[in-house]
Amino acid sequence: MMPNLIIDNKKIRVAKGTRVIDAAESAGIYIPRFCYFAELGAVGACRVCAVKFIDGPVEGIRMSCMVEAEDGMVVATDDAEAVDFRRHVIEWMMMNHPHDCPVCDEGGHCLLQDLTVAGGHGIRRFAGKKRTYADQYLGPLISHEENRCIQCYRCSRFYQEYCGYTDLGVMGIAQRIYFGRYKDGVLENPFSGNLIDLCPTGVYTDKPSRYTGRRWDFERTTGVCTTCGLGCSIMVSARYRQVVRLEAAFSRAVNGAFICDRGRYGFSWVNSENRPRQGRVAAKAMAPQKAAAAAAGRLDSLAEQYGAGAIAVAGSGRSSLETLAAWMDLCRRRSWRGFFFDDLAAAPAAPAAVSGLSPENVVSMKAVESADMILAVGADPLGEAPMLALAMRQAWRAGAKVFAIDSRDLEWPFEFQQVVAEPHEIVDLLSGIEPENEIGGNAGKHAGKMAAIQDQIRHSRFPVILCGTAIVDQSTALAAAGLVKRLRKNKKDTRLFYTLPKANTFGGLLLDHRVQPPDELIHAMESGEIKALVAVESDLWQNCTDRDLLERALNGLEFLCAADCMATELVSRADIVIPVSSVYEAGGIYVNQEARAQWSAPAHAGGTPVRITGAGGHPPRVIGSAIPGGDMPGAWQAAWQIAGLAPPAGPGEMLEWMTKTYPVTAPVKTMAAQGVRIFPLQ
Amino acid sequence: MGLWLTGYAILMIKIAVILTGVLLLAAYLVLLERKLLGRFQARIGPNRTGIFGLLQPVSDGIKLLTKEDVIPQGAHRRIFLFAPAVVAATALLTFAVVPMGPDLHLGGRKIPMVVTDMNVGLLYVFAMASLSVYGVVLGGWASDSKYAMLGSIRGAAQMISYELALGLSIVPVVMLAGSLSLVDIVDAQAGRPFILVQPLAFVIFFLSAMAESKRIPFDLPEAEAELGSGYHTEYSGMRFGMFFLGEYVQMQVLGALTAVFFLGGWRGPLLPAPLWLLVKIVLVVTAMIWIRATLPRFRYDQLMGLGWKFLIPAALINIVITGFVMVGI
Amino acid sequence: MKELFLVVHSLCTGFYTTLKHIFRGPATELYPEYKRPLPARSRARIILTVDPDGRERCVACYLCSAACPVDCISMQAAENPEGRRYAAWFRINFGRCIYCGLCEEACPTAAIQLTPSFEHADRDILKMVAEKEDLQVDHCGKDPNYNFYHHAGVADAIRPKGGHVNESPPVNVRTNMP
Repeated sequence: MMPNLIIDNKKIRVAKGTRVIDAAESAGIYIPRFCYFAELGAVGACRVCAVKFIDGPVEGIRMSCMVEAEDGMVVATDDAEAVDFRRHVIEWMMMNHPHDCPVCDEGGHCLLQDLTVAGGHGIRRFAGKKRTYADQYLGPLISHEENRCIQCYRCSRFYQEYCGYTDLGVMGIAQRIYFGRYKDGVLENPFSGNLIDLCPTGVYTDKPSRYTGRRWDFERTTGVCTTCGLGCSIMVSARYRQVVRLEAAFSRAVNGAFICDRGRYGFSWVNSENRPRQGRVAAKAMAPQKAAAAAAGRLDSLAEQYGAGAIAVAGSGRSSLETLAAWMDLCRRRSWRGFFFDDLAAAPAAPAAVSGLSPENVVSMKAVESADMILAVGADPLGEAPMLALAMRQAWRAGAKVFAIDSRDLEWPFEFQQVVAEPHEIVDLLSGIEPENEIGGNAGKHAGKMAAIQDQIRHSRFPVILCGTAIVDQSTALAAAGLVKRLRKNKKDTRLFYTLPKANTFGGLLLDHRVQPPDELIHAMESGEIKALVAVESDLWQNCTDRDLLERALNGLEFLCAADCMATELVSRADIVIPVSSVYEAGGIYVNQEARAQWSAPAHAGGTPVRITGAGGHPPRVIGSAIPGGDMPGAWQAAWQIAGLAPPAGPGEMLEWMTKTYPVTAPVKTMAAQGVRIFPLQ
Repeated sequence: MGLWLTGYAILMIKIAVILTGVLLLAAYLVLLERKLLGRFQARIGPNRTGIFGLLQPVSDGIKLLTKEDVIPQGAHRRIFLFAPAVVAATALLTFAVVPMGPDLHLGGRKIPMVVTDMNVGLLYVFAMASLSVYGVVLGGWASDSKYAMLGSIRGAAQMISYELALGLSIVPVVMLAGSLSLVDIVDAQAGRPFILVQPLAFVIFFLSAMAESKRIPFDLPEAEAELGSGYHTEYSGMRFGMFFLGEYVQMQVLGALTAVFFLGGWRGPLLPAPLWLLVKIVLVVTAMIWIRATLPRFRYDQLMGLGWKFLIPAALINIVITGFVMVGI
Repeated sequence: MKELFLVVHSLCTGFYTTLKHIFRGPATELYPEYKRPLPARSRARIILTVDPDGRERCVACYLCSAACPVDCISMQAAENPEGRRYAAWFRINFGRCIYCGLCEEACPTAAIQLTPSFEHADRDILKMVAEKEDLQVDHCGKDPNYNFYHHAGVADAIRPKGGHVNESPPVNVRTNMP
């Protein structure tokens, strides 16, 4: 039964079990809160969400986060008594709050600040002393300023309950309640950055961007995290032509309200002084367009000399879908040797993710939280896709059983049972799991544990099979898909989840399933078949295991051109460098491991950061509307420039071109805020 | 032939002298007005260009001539360019019939101190005054601006209303002088200026004439507070200068006509005749500046009410009384 | 009749009043020759003042730039060796400034203040762009006593936790032990 209630004279119908504070929000009525956070649940600690229950099962002032909506409730948020109550709550919170908003980085987006102003509190009436706290060193990422604390318990609840780490918590009694570590030290939790977003005031603030600016000065937009294959939503803040801070952006389907620290802090390359910002032709700096033209000339003459087959392109999954499409198409049209996909070195099993997933068995990361049985094979979420580990923990908290088949020494923030098996053994173990029969195959010494897994799958309602792509090979990944298929045939709603190394590994394989792994490229370079290489946002060094071989191969090249926004090893060796704008400047479409294509909007127009042009001091004293370093092309535009052609006029035309050239990408034209899933055309 | 040529030369000289005098006077009337207004408002007025700001008109002229001549995009180009000239020209042409002094006898030749002694001089004056409103109406209409349009509509309405009172107020003067020639009217005041016998006519004439020349408190067509600058809102540079010039020449015309009709024209003791006229013109203009410094602008209905409900009936009654008195005599 | 008299009377009063002013003499002060001393609170050129102890008042909180209706203030905050927040650079474009004084009202540390000095017009627009060095002065301006850091409650090299006005000594994890 769905309860009907009245809040502020609005009739509202909500699902059973909805809290009044959420019921009000669904009707557009925002009830103030400090401690309540949907993902963390309610504790009723801050007392600021007090509302007046006028009629119904309960009456009087109650905390709206602690009361579930019931039939017949009549609630007034603006009742004089409730307003007065809330005003007093804020006033006594401010009794000990320091007078440091001007020097606090939270100022400007501080919940406490907003509600204090909203509550009308201005002058501290209490004449007594303010309590103070000694602060702690919590590592290089988070500043601690405990004076500002209002004891909402969000941090300790998130840290210990939601994430399962115990080195930060609450200590003390009465006036001396202290939130911190047992001693100074780096936080162990790989999701600790969320404390910054969660803290309703400035106890935890972002250390790398300390004092960089106020939120109102930032150019803010939602983007897609490009650190791993999950495609979490992030909020990008940029100011003075540099990315200041990444925060979690709420995404109902992917990451919920949080992101991991890797995603949050893994962007410093974009502001780096070493980042290629000028075109370079044989150590001579020039405009990017001129460098591209020079590269076009060299490629033409090399093609004439050695044939088009002597030219190759190396790309990677950190490029946007547009970039990958543009360069793959260029490769094809010019009959070059081929497009070599760097991600295949990091994740040899990745092509299976594209062939194994289907609209039926795909599962979003948020939905993993509702699984009641998770089997992870050859996957280490905490290392490969950290937010997945958090989603698995939520499933575990709700009662799910977690199993792992892996050879590594895994450490996850929840309980799980591991079958220690070498990667090559996993295929057999997976194909042995049968929905109805006894455990088959040759499980060997793992037979007992595998039987338990099979038993658990049989008794579960919504099992999810997690498969890594890094340490296992294609056959294992396909075996995982086969298992899911078998279970689904047996009317068991089983879902499949692959982890992928890069934001667009899926996208690259989606465009062309036959892209070649970099090993072949390196061998062809070494044998002299390939004379010229264009590396587009790819660094062969990163995933190469035999660096001597790579060294020899690169020395054998006649011409190396790098189009990149990162200062990679290849960029430093390249004969011609074409600097391209980053995802934060050009935007782009990224397809995550569950085939979800999402648009990452550009946060700013690009250009050399003011920090660099001003050399740390004030910006140069010149007048003009040109952006210094603002002439970098997007990586997809460079594909046309290097072919000596004019690129599509803008992102709109580019999208038009892409969907026409690669019909598989057609669904992106109807992309919603939550993205759209793209599967290979049958 | 020689006689004709001499006459022509004399005419040219007269025109040149009067034009120079009138334009020079107009320029300095601007300075006089600004200086006087300044003093009325406890200020100094222009004092930076030349001693006592005496070079102000020169610098104003240079400024207006060198400023950009902006023509609005939607303007009717030809009419827009032509309109200011109408205002300036009609005001200047009026001076053709104003007598500057008694006839001059040079080498047996009688030279009248007037450009042309028309026997219908008075009608000519009215004709010119009526024509000047075309400049206002056309300028405002051609500007393609709502403020200018409103200003020119007000100008036309005001002109029609006050033209009647202006004409009627002069009828008693014509009756007394028995002529429409301005020379004859001045001659008729040899004994006593008409202001003494026709004070009411003087008041009506003065008020209507001020309304005709759009002076405060009758400056509704250009009301800065409501219409920007009314009919010349869109004008700039020397074209605006022409409107400005026309207005100040019209002030002189008004001063000269008041002198001719009511103050005895060039007549006066001791001083030479043209100087007397000049003194009288400046006196009338000073009075107008004083009025400007004192009175606020009329409301539109008040303006119309004054014209139709008071000035015209009063002028008619004045004609009747004058008639009775003349017949009675 | 009485009305007519009233009209004439009021007209005459008006004309008499204006006439009187002619003889009153001008009240004008000739500007470049005579410079009237302006009140301390009149609003013109902006300065950055210092605390009574001589340290920079500005904490680069960005409130002035947020309050500025014409966006003429820009700055970058940083942390100085004493552990205080300060402006690494601070720029006011006087070519844009409308001297409204909202920055002064927004300033929580009384650092940014408007002064009566107004004669800084220039034909070169870049000369109107003032950097931090051009704005800094070595006095407290209109507020000689206020020192934000006595009240702030944030520790720096000069004042430890608990050393501010009306504060109790700091609590840490150990003092909380039973």
